[in-house]
Amino acid sequence: MDEIKNPSYLINKDYESINLVTFDEWIEDSEKLSKLGVGIILKPQDDIYSIQEQLELIELIALDFSNFDDGRGYTQAYLLSKRWKYVGEIIAINAHLDQLQFMIRSGITSYQLLESYKGSIDEDYSHGFSLCYQAAANNNGLHLQY
Amino acid sequence: MYKYSEKDRQFLVERVDQFEKQLNRYLSGDLDEDKFRSLRLRNGLYMELHAHMLRVAIPYGILSSNQLRALADVADKYDRGFGHFTTRQNIQFNWIQLPEIANLLRDLTDVGLHAIQTSGKATRNITADPLSGLTEGEIEDARPYCELIRRWFNLHPEFSWLPGKFKIAINGAKLDETALRIHDLGLRLIKNKKKELGFKVYVGGGLGAAAMIAAETASFIPSEDILSYLESVMRIYNLRGRRDHQKKLRIKFLVRELGASEFSRLVNEDWHQTKDDQELKLNLKELQSLKEDFALPIQSINLNGFQDDIDFNYSIWKKNNVRNHKVSGYSIVNISLTKLGAAPGDTTSEQMRILANLADQFSSGEIRTTKRQTIVFPFVRKDKVFNLWESLEKYDLASPHQGTMAQIVACPGRDYCSLAKAVSIPIATRVQERFNDMKKLLDIGDLKINISGCENSCAHHHIADIGLLGMQKNGEEYYQITLAGETLHETNIGKKLGPSISGEGIVDSIETIVNVYIDNRKINENFTDVFKRIGIEAFKEKVYG
Repeated sequence: MDEIKNPSYLINKDYESINLVTFDEWIEDSEKLSKLGVGIILKPQDDIYSIQEQLELIELIALDFSNFDDGRGYTQAYLLSKRWKYVGEIIAINAHLDQLQFMIRSGITSYQLLESYKGSIDEDYSHGFSLCYQAAANNNGLHLQY
Repeated sequence: MYKYSEKDRQFLVERVDQFEKQLNRYLSGDLDEDKFRSLRLRNGLYMELHAHMLRVAIPYGILSSNQLRALADVADKYDRGFGHFTTRQNIQFNWIQLPEIANLLRDLTDVGLHAIQTSGKATRNITADPLSGLTEGEIEDARPYCELIRRWFNLHPEFSWLPGKFKIAINGAKLDETALRIHDLGLRLIKNKKKELGFKVYVGGGLGAAAMIAAETASFIPSEDILSYLESVMRIYNLRGRRDHQKKLRIKFLVRELGASEFSRLVNEDWHQTKDDQELKLNLKELQSLKEDFALPIQSINLNGFQDDIDFNYSIWKKNNVRNHKVSGYSIVNISLTKLGAAPGDTTSEQMRILANLADQFSSGEIRTTKRQTIVFPFVRKDKVFNLWESLEKYDLASPHQGTMAQIVACPGRDYCSLAKAVSIPIATRVQERFNDMKKLLDIGDLKINISGCENSCAHHHIADIGLLGMQKNGEEYYQITLAGETLHETNIGKKLGPSISGEGIVDSIETIVNVYIDNRKINENFTDVFKRIGIEAFKEKVYG
């Protein structure tokens, strides 16, 4: 996996050594995999509700944001973080620069940008707005206007 | 009227700064076409046939005179001296050059205007009755609720990349001027038996190629719980809405596929997890402050003994253009911008400045825009209406077309829009030429004609008395006619009359339809009444017979 960023205000944890499996692999043999201590890669179309009861067994969850216009990952992040209080890392993988602040506010705890954004200044997009108009999973550092 | 705070303005500035960076990345080749498209649409920017089109929001249709002047300046500085008022409380500029866009948006932020989410797959500008707060019998002024809901979904982190666009309308009046049930989501303000305020919720309406009327998903949601309920609707849509088929992106297809009762069951299941979350409750303090912002700037005055002028032309104009105000001593004045040969909704910068000055003089500095692409002066003293009319006459703005069939709604059509299949404006002009006789127009009465240049239905042709939908057949422009659409009392999608008719023959067909109506109507029967009584066959026979 390419460089993963954990801005200091996000939770940090040593997860580089954790093996990742796909959602389908997990569903097929979650009992065995949970003993190995793996993380899961969720695609937007994967049914997040089906792992709701197993969250304690999953070391980390990587949400795939590669499709710029597919917004299901934001709801997945919200459900994991805010509603189900998932304590493991929620990593946005294949993330797009322009969507960083949306992802962070939806509850991801770290991100890995797509290769094509190498060399860009993340700050402009992870902290683009100083104010927000709605409650969210993570409004840290924002002026709340609601 | 609602005023932006310093914080709100700061937010607008940050939005423009970010968009400028994205634009520069695009221009230097660091941002690809697809992503830039998605980002520019969220900032109201379209690529059209000849230039870029920018859609600026006019929340709830309300503009101050200063905002209107700023729009006039934009029209002169960045466009060709005019703007186009749309049917959904926006104004569009059609000749924008890409490198100038950030400066244009900055000019708008100075007066609290913006183009955020006026397009793209997110919550669009929320619409309300343009006469909100002005007429008798209103259940509640919808605007403070509109504003709270608009803000809540402004760059919402979870719901900014929905499957499709998401249009919300809110109505607080008895009659439905907002056409709630043709929206993705419609909210009707109601009171329950305990006199508590809440919302009836309709989901899954929309026009376009598959016109559908929204289904009721909740009969009463307490007003303080509305944000969590709306979030649940969007969450179900975000997760389950079709993303695999370009023509099935809107929520109406999801509601149809699941069935309204299954859809509302899923929404309720989600909502029960969040409805008690205090963070999602409507902020009553903010609501109160917004109610004060939207309070009317006038108080009743006693004009006993006032005799209005009886000038003939003034009387005709007044009959069509002036309505009663709930505040005694005041009138609501409608100004039609429709003129022969001019595009419906098109307004020159000069007209905008004249209207802004007249609004200062006669209407407490406020104007409103309507879905029939007219302008309303909401606060005109009854004893000043004649003076206003004289001024409007002087500037050629006293068209008495309002409330007649010459007040045609049309989209920009193939003259301007890259999606359009056929022209709209030239058809409107030809209809106006054919019916260019005020006596005849007054006799026909309030008959609504809407013309859309393609299935995107920007002119809402499905809900007009006579709707025209432009299409192409073997390279020729044709128009499909629909009849008797309505939303005011109940919502009905117009019925297709029969095979489409060529551009050449369409005005004759309209005249035939109008004649069938006139020949058959009884006293006080409007077009829909007659249509329901005599049936579509009577019209078909004459048009195709």
